[in-house]
Amino acid sequence: MTFTRRTTLQWLATATALSLANRGVAAAAAPQATGAPPSFKVVDWPASIAPMPAAPGYGRDPDLTAPKVPWPLTLTKPQRATVDMLGDMILPADAASPGAGTLGVGAFIDEWISAPYPQQQDDRGKIIAGLTWLDAQSRVLHGGAFTAATAAQRATLLDALTVETPSAAMAQPVAFMDRLRNLFVLGFYSLPEGKADMGYIGDQPTEGPYPGPTPEAQAHFAALLTTLKLPPLPSPSQA
Amino acid sequence: MAAAKGADGPVDVIIVGSGAAGGMAAHVLTKAGVRCLILEAGRDYDPQAEVNMFAPESDAPLRGTGTPDKPFGYFDATVDGGWQVEGEPYTMTEGSDFRWYRPRMLGGRTNHWGRHVPRFGAYDFKPFSRDGLGADWPIGYDDVAPFYDRVERMIGVNGGKLGLENHPDSPPGCLMPPPKPRVPEMLITAAAESLGIPVRAAHTAVLTRDMPDKVAPRSACFNATPCTRGCTIGAMFQTTTSLLPMAKATGRLRVVTDAMVSRVVMGARGRAAGVEYVDRKTGQRHQVKARAVVLAAGTGETARLLLNSGEAGRGLANSSGELGRNLTDSTGASFRAFIPGLAGRPRYNEDGIGGQHIYIPFWQYEQQKRGELDFARGYHFEIGGRFGVPAEAALPRVWGKDLKQAVRNASGATIGLTLRGEMIPNKDTFCEIDPNVKDKFGIPVLRFAFRWSKHEVNQVAHGRRAAHAVFKRLNGTILDPDLPPEQIMTAGGEIIHELGTARMGADPKSSVVDSYGQTWDVDNVVLMDGATFASGPHKNPTLTILALALRASERLATRLSSGALA
Repeated sequence: MTFTRRTTLQWLATATALSLANRGVAAAAAPQATGAPPSFKVVDWPASIAPMPAAPGYGRDPDLTAPKVPWPLTLTKPQRATVDMLGDMILPADAASPGAGTLGVGAFIDEWISAPYPQQQDDRGKIIAGLTWLDAQSRVLHGGAFTAATAAQRATLLDALTVETPSAAMAQPVAFMDRLRNLFVLGFYSLPEGKADMGYIGDQPTEGPYPGPTPEAQAHFAALLTTLKLPPLPSPSQA
Repeated sequence: MAAAKGADGPVDVIIVGSGAAGGMAAHVLTKAGVRCLILEAGRDYDPQAEVNMFAPESDAPLRGTGTPDKPFGYFDATVDGGWQVEGEPYTMTEGSDFRWYRPRMLGGRTNHWGRHVPRFGAYDFKPFSRDGLGADWPIGYDDVAPFYDRVERMIGVNGGKLGLENHPDSPPGCLMPPPKPRVPEMLITAAAESLGIPVRAAHTAVLTRDMPDKVAPRSACFNATPCTRGCTIGAMFQTTTSLLPMAKATGRLRVVTDAMVSRVVMGARGRAAGVEYVDRKTGQRHQVKARAVVLAAGTGETARLLLNSGEAGRGLANSSGELGRNLTDSTGASFRAFIPGLAGRPRYNEDGIGGQHIYIPFWQYEQQKRGELDFARGYHFEIGGRFGVPAEAALPRVWGKDLKQAVRNASGATIGLTLRGEMIPNKDTFCEIDPNVKDKFGIPVLRFAFRWSKHEVNQVAHGRRAAHAVFKRLNGTILDPDLPPEQIMTAGGEIIHELGTARMGADPKSSVVDSYGQTWDVDNVVLMDGATFASGPHKNPTLTILALALRASERLATRLSSGALA
């Protein structure tokens, strides 16, 4: 998939319009819990999540030419349905690519939180608790599970889960959504459909010397130097 | 690579280890007519059969994300080893944090290494003379330069002109042409140079031209696939596709894998008779004999082997008391920023030759000499920033179509500067035998003590200021947490540049080996790996390991043929 100059110019325009205010916040260990509370009463975060039964990892010496996942998936059907629905909300279908839920990235989330490794088990605690919280909150607000709520009701919840500065009561729910969202990004954009959406070009052998940036990329770079008031590089490259 | 059949006869030299140093020793010695036996603690490994070069990360469990089983990712070439090895622990003194990476495979770390191969400079060999810290090497740049020239041509290195103080250039004919830089690298060049920080084409052990050879022909990089998976076309240097097959083709090399050497066995007249090893599959102990023993097991294992040999409680070749001391690793820290001007930039193929095409060499020698810096020695930055899935920190907390748009914008808009710096040996950093713990073969294990000094901490703080100055010049949004330098530094060992545990010197009283790696105490035990380094410059060590192993191997071959070891 190649991108027209028009498409990338559109992206450039959007990039400058997007607020950078909360960039980086999402990666913080825990959200700053000093913000205003949401418009609804927040239900309590689940007290504890049952640990996963022991499962095998792939070991230090797996067959790299035939990769496979040796551990069983552990999400229940309703949990998986919620994850799939969240996938289509977090990364929805548009002209460039399908929704993450429809594309099956929910299976990757299940694979991730079912893996018997410390990072993944830590994420499992967050995500299973988050899914439980989401249904509890939805029941209080709308009398049913998250998947039974209307699109507008679900959107309101997702907005509350992505505020820049959550209230104390929303700190854990927001941390849950941070983790789930980042996992969806990893799972979705590492698939061919996601790479195409990003306009990724690569993963293909090119014989001979590395060609370097295209004329279009060179022109963009030259314009950027002017914007930044940096002198042009002495030669086409330092090489 | 199975052991050569019919090669069970007597051997002249036992080589412990098959990585950069062991591979070079085998190549040089067999070419000189010497019969060699390599004992490799890890398993047999054939990149042609095992490397999965082309599979997308989405084929792997967890999208290839690193786990305790495969720390550098599912497809990473390291097999059957890593930060932990089953049944083969190591310990640490209280308050120490040290990570010990053990690949346990034929070819060792060369199968997945970083490939950045700068030469050490004149200052790097005489650090004590320059600042009164640590120790000088018994040799200088001019002694090693001819071996650098030859190693660069042997292993295949691409790179450009440096023209900088203490960053020696290679003579004509040594280097292949470097690849063109990518846009983020060009942008960092423009910003850094405007601040007086030099940026140069890196020296990288990846072929940009074919390297014909009757036995092990290697092809120029085809500008795709991650090098750390291993390279079936041989573009990246690894001993398993170059020096080892070449050595085997002489008919004078026998390789035994799964052979965990436990100690050097002494013979008559103060010389080593051979080694004892444990077959990792059967647990059986074997002894093999030779005229000389080359230790190339890696800085930690080589020290451990000597400490577990000879006199109980003191080890072999340790009359100086320096064995296990002077351990260093490189400092490490990573800095990142989102550059709005790169958001949504035009797409093109940025795979290139794998890692960085350019880098920032240390540039503050004059200021340091004038006493303007609060640390000794130097560091460099390796440069990152390519298209791909954006870092979590580069994405805003949004969902829906805004998130999809944010990913398109952020892909290729994050740049990174990764610091690698010199650590000065200190008395609190060493390895020794833990008297209470043995591995599953009954071999006493290493205990590490580790501490950074204020030089390393101040160096990392300086590096952060420099990196952030470059980011700010580009109107970047810095993505690094605001923490004290001690908290952003890697742990000891984490950069996998451990060096110095059996350092070379001019004086047997303060060093373990001479400049040819020959132990002062046992003249037929020769060390060829990073253990022999008298200092650990910020410049990645493998090129120097290869150059010193080439030098030491030719010396050993001469001694063997002259009858000096009869």
